[in-house]
Amino acid sequence: MASSSQFKQLEKLGNGTYATVYKGLNKTTGVYVALKEVKLDSEEGTPSTAVREISLMKELKHENIVRLYDVIHTENKLTLVFEFMDNDLKKYMDSRIVGNTPYGFEMSLVKYFEWQLLQGVAFCHENRILHRDLKPQNLLINNKGQLKLGDFGLARAFGIPVNTFSSEVVTLWYRAPDVLMGSRTYSTSIDIWSCGCILAEMITGRPLFPGTNDEEQLKLIFETMGTPSERTWPGISNLPKYNAQHPQHLPKDLGALLQSQTREKMDLALIDLLYGLLQLNPDRRLSAKQALNHPWFAEYYQ
Amino acid sequence: MSGTFQTQLMLSRPYLTRGQIKRAQQNTIPDRRLYNQKRLSVFKFLCDMCIQFKFPRKTLETAMYFYQRYYLFNRFESELCYDVATSCLFLSCKQVETMKKIADIASMSLRLRNVLKLTPEVIDNCKKRIVQLELRILETCCFDYRVNNSVHIDEILAKIAKGLSLSREVAHLAWIIAFDALKLEILLMVPQHTTALAALKMACELTKGASWPNIRYSLFESDEPSVSEAYFDLLNFFINAFDLTDFRVNLPEDLRNTGIETFMDLKKQAGVEKGLKEPDNVSSDLSLTSEWNPGIRERRYVLSRKRLNDERLAKSITKREKT
Repeated sequence: MASSSQFKQLEKLGNGTYATVYKGLNKTTGVYVALKEVKLDSEEGTPSTAVREISLMKELKHENIVRLYDVIHTENKLTLVFEFMDNDLKKYMDSRIVGNTPYGFEMSLVKYFEWQLLQGVAFCHENRILHRDLKPQNLLINNKGQLKLGDFGLARAFGIPVNTFSSEVVTLWYRAPDVLMGSRTYSTSIDIWSCGCILAEMITGRPLFPGTNDEEQLKLIFETMGTPSERTWPGISNLPKYNAQHPQHLPKDLGALLQSQTREKMDLALIDLLYGLLQLNPDRRLSAKQALNHPWFAEYYQ
Repeated sequence: MSGTFQTQLMLSRPYLTRGQIKRAQQNTIPDRRLYNQKRLSVFKFLCDMCIQFKFPRKTLETAMYFYQRYYLFNRFESELCYDVATSCLFLSCKQVETMKKIADIASMSLRLRNVLKLTPEVIDNCKKRIVQLELRILETCCFDYRVNNSVHIDEILAKIAKGLSLSREVAHLAWIIAFDALKLEILLMVPQHTTALAALKMACELTKGASWPNIRYSLFESDEPSVSEAYFDLLNFFINAFDLTDFRVNLPEDLRNTGIETFMDLKKQAGVEKGLKEPDNVSSDLSLTSEWNPGIRERRYVLSRKRLNDERLAKSITKREKT
């Protein structure tokens, strides 16, 4: 089984929180890969994010989830070998900015990406795994139009009990209101909120709720979706960071708001789906499976 | 990563048969008795650590898997085994998300080992050893965490008991029995849900009025040889080392008379000892027989045999084309 080193390291693709990613070439098979070099922390050893990423991704085999092929260990470094993807959704969206004006995608592409995103999320949830960090940077795409979920560094297997999850997980812009208010019993709905934010962003080219801190994030969400109350969201007042003094806002017309930022025609089914994904009350949010069965996706399942 | 140094492609095999384990240990364990004694002391030590940190049983279970797996491929030296155990616990915390700082783990480990002078230097040295060992543990597991990821004996045991409508008493007794399983090599042989099934079967047989339902193990993603392997491993432990079991000190009121004879009777009823089929190639299996080669600078760990075969095939085609 011995041979010369298997991968040729090519250009750098990016820097992650705990790793640097390079493009690589498997010298035997000629297949391109992404090589994620894990920085081994001299203080705390192998990063727990790497441990989780390896453990969860090795279980997930789905066409909308980036495959982890191997783990390479050399004397002083650990490298995860992933399926190679040409681009990520964030870079792709940025490439469409003209001057200072962002542009959303054509509606057919929005639909195809969102469908694939929800397929990947549904598969994770069926396998009892929460991603917890869905954002355009973590959605990898290739030139065939395929979209795959990547970066499972924050993901964890869920099960019972769920009451000990950390509250510091999802990147702010895509973070669900229940998590922002300190809920520690969140579940699959945490990823669904992110899917809603990403859907809106693909339509307009702009992040839906670009907050800079927890408070502003909640403010932006409530200004658009309305301030929730015990009546619309039973149990909200028990959340650790619930603020009863929060300014009261009525929900805005999300459809009109987004329509004003895109030239594409938004149909009613799409607006209905957005409301389903962006329900403030996590119990009322659609599941990934339900979202996939939504009429907006009818052309894919009919 | 470019260059022409040697690399090795390794296929992960998270579970091995008893024969395979014995063969691997021939290279690593010179004194079996000492190893077994130390394993029980290490278990007690890890229990104490878990109690101090209020860790759940799954953290202990995962640490014991790592500990035993480590000594399949690394030479056992009694002086180092507590450091290895501490590192196993540290890694286990990352694996099952019961996070603790390395400094806390190192200090507690030293304190429980009665190290009197806990100077920053002593703690720092311990931390360094933990980090070094952590990578070796990961290697011996082929970076394959499928085994300790989401299924743990105590949790799955409760679910299976519920699924089979077994009484609370039976489930509780099985939960006590399953604690002793964490001391055994069965962790390296069968997945957690299989050990849970064996513990439940034994609990049913020990409980008056309860009977083990005649189920197909395939319903629980297991099989007869695997469950038997776990069942007999537990049974033999209770017969051979009853005084060392936690079962003995945690017996429920109505089972106070349970002793070695009880388990000998169970063994008689169970008939000929059965278990996992031993493969024919144990003595020629290079991954078990060859010692760790420090000359290999790069090791690649894969999960699927297909990937291993694909690469071999591609290599042989390239070779043929060259000639």
